[in-house]
Amino acid sequence: MTDYNAMADGDFRKMLCDWLVESYPDELRFPAERMHWDQCGDWYLTLAKKGWLAPGWPAEHGGMGLDANKLLILMEEFEGYGVGRTPDQGMTMIGPLLIQYGTEEQRQHYLPKILNGENIWCQGYSEPGAGSDLASLRTAAVRDGDEYVVNGHKIWTTLAMDANMIFTLVRTNKEGKKQQGITFLLIPLDTPGITVRGIDNLGMHDEFAEVFFDDVRVPVANVVGKENDGWTIAKALLGHERIFIGSPKMASLAMNRLKALAESAGMFEDPLFVERYTVLKLEIEDLSAAYMRFVEVLKRGGKIGAEVSMLKIWNTETQQRITDLMLDVAGENCGVSDAIPAGDTAVSAPGEFIGARPTTIYGGSNEIQRNILAKAVLKLPS
Amino acid sequence: MEDISLQSRIDVLSEEQVMIQDSAVAFIAQDEELKKVRESRFTQPGYDAQTWAEMAEAGWLGFLVPEEYDGIGLSFSDLSLVLIQLGKGLVPAPFSATAVLAARTIVKSDNESFKKARLPALISGEWKPAIAWQEARATLDVKAEKVTCADGKLNGQKLFVPDAGGADAFIVSAASSEGTVLYMIEKDASGLSIEYAQRVDGGFYATLTFDNVVAGEEVASAAVAEQALASALDEARVAASAELLGVMTRALEITVDYLTQRVQFDKPIGSFQSLQHKAVDLFVLSEISRSVLLQTTALFDGDASDKERAIAASQLKSRCGDAALQITKDAIQLHGGIGYTDECNIGLYLKKAMYLSSLWGNPTAHRGRYASLVL
Repeated sequence: MTDYNAMADGDFRKMLCDWLVESYPDELRFPAERMHWDQCGDWYLTLAKKGWLAPGWPAEHGGMGLDANKLLILMEEFEGYGVGRTPDQGMTMIGPLLIQYGTEEQRQHYLPKILNGENIWCQGYSEPGAGSDLASLRTAAVRDGDEYVVNGHKIWTTLAMDANMIFTLVRTNKEGKKQQGITFLLIPLDTPGITVRGIDNLGMHDEFAEVFFDDVRVPVANVVGKENDGWTIAKALLGHERIFIGSPKMASLAMNRLKALAESAGMFEDPLFVERYTVLKLEIEDLSAAYMRFVEVLKRGGKIGAEVSMLKIWNTETQQRITDLMLDVAGENCGVSDAIPAGDTAVSAPGEFIGARPTTIYGGSNEIQRNILAKAVLKLPS
Repeated sequence: MEDISLQSRIDVLSEEQVMIQDSAVAFIAQDEELKKVRESRFTQPGYDAQTWAEMAEAGWLGFLVPEEYDGIGLSFSDLSLVLIQLGKGLVPAPFSATAVLAARTIVKSDNESFKKARLPALISGEWKPAIAWQEARATLDVKAEKVTCADGKLNGQKLFVPDAGGADAFIVSAASSEGTVLYMIEKDASGLSIEYAQRVDGGFYATLTFDNVVAGEEVASAAVAEQALASALDEARVAASAELLGVMTRALEITVDYLTQRVQFDKPIGSFQSLQHKAVDLFVLSEISRSVLLQTTALFDGDASDKERAIAASQLKSRCGDAALQITKDAIQLHGGIGYTDECNIGLYLKKAMYLSSLWGNPTAHRGRYASLVL
């Protein structure tokens, strides 16, 4: 077993990079949209075989056991090479959660199945009536002997159609404070009574789904933690890896595409454009300085708190402004769906623009992030 | 006033840096109500001599001067801790202009005997030189053209010399037959006329007009003058940016405190979401600025090239200049009517931001230089 943390940073980077060049399919680099299993399943299994599917998990559970610094390097290398995301909720969400809160049986049952690709997970938190106010969720689990009977409706379930397992928050108590009647429950998607329906997003891609539960019977053994303790568990996980949403990489890539588009349109002759472009470039450069300041905290072994929300706000709103400028540069091509040639590449300004819409909504909308900062950092009154 | 920055949450200071910061915090605490700041407004020289003497006493004037000239030779990271506090306290002293721009121009010059004679006097507070380099509005170009030196006489005009009223002498860039040279000109030199313009923050800018003024000692020869000036100016921009960070963070602290205290509709107005979100946006802006300052001082403490320093200084000055203006403008808005009165201190922060954000190149000028160096 290689001790990756003992490697020099440069050697570690080179190892990753060499392997990506050798192993990652060229046609999947920088995918325009979230990939389905039929596109990226082989890559998932390649990662699994290499033992690199779960870089952040401890080695004893089959992960790479990377420390914060090496994990960041891995993220940077993968992002930089244009490696697309797999249906990764097993590795990023439920795996770490089971390692922290699961029973020994649950760990032994579920973790290997994540690592060998047998179980593909999706996340069932949001509901039509419970978005930002997640704790008001109503999908109910009623105890009946050794089983729960689940009825309700989850939505914005990313890639549910590719998954065979869903981890959910369900209501097990309607009395008292709404956060205290929620349970964390694992449900196989092939259980009778479950219907999955894809939802096309504005990019005409069925990235999301909704999941309907109609008298679905789930063993009580599938509860993680204690009954009615689900909110605490889910909240602990939300802090996990939140720094990655602040990585300036995505915005840099968008900036590169803006540059290609603008160069092919001769826009750098226009001083007004240069000023607008420079403002955006500096937004990203300055974000990068802030991001590195937070990264230093992780490298020192420190903890990052609510303040990291500032990176998400800055990053996503800058990305949107970059794509605003792309639309402007595209002119009438703003109305054309297909990518248009730009130098030695092709850029779809409307695709970039539409693709940037959800960034300020997902992972806690930017308005919610501002609420958090107002309370937790500025200590403003309620 | 409680520090709401992320420094204590996520940054690490050395023991020495904690001491430096603590002494600067104590220094500005002497005038927390800004009474001394108000007393020196609009009165020459725009700051009080006692304050300057105390800074010299604390050793701050020698922070960026090597030990061989009686300085301390500390880093930009260390110095910025003092400058942030000076900004917070709106301390009306020409610190960045004298202890950074002038001191560093002299350090980078090539007249060794001048350095040995003058730098110790500058550090001890006995002698205050002011650099006169600028010949046009919003320029970053240090090549002298309009002030010339021929036959040992200076002619022409220099603009926007800050805090000239308290200066003992000027170091003036002039176009000689060999190129730009720096000369020392005593304040009472024959043929030199000084015209003062009152600044919004209470200090003064001077316009210097040279009419056959006899050139004094050559501080820097044409071989090094432009580079010394350009390089020292970039350091002064970092210093002004650190002051701007202090200005914006204290303005925000005062504003957040006001939002917590002020009651309307039977609630503290800081409980209203629209005001919370505005305050958060200002906070994010201040911490982005602080992040860039930390990155830039680290770069200036290393062995970056002049070009890398110029790029970094422009990145920083454009960010801090814009952020300080945005935060102080919105601070006025969040204070409501009282914010528009001179008796409320928040307006003093807006005016300091107006002065410092435009000093040595405003954000637009710096974005222009950044673009020309990077794109």
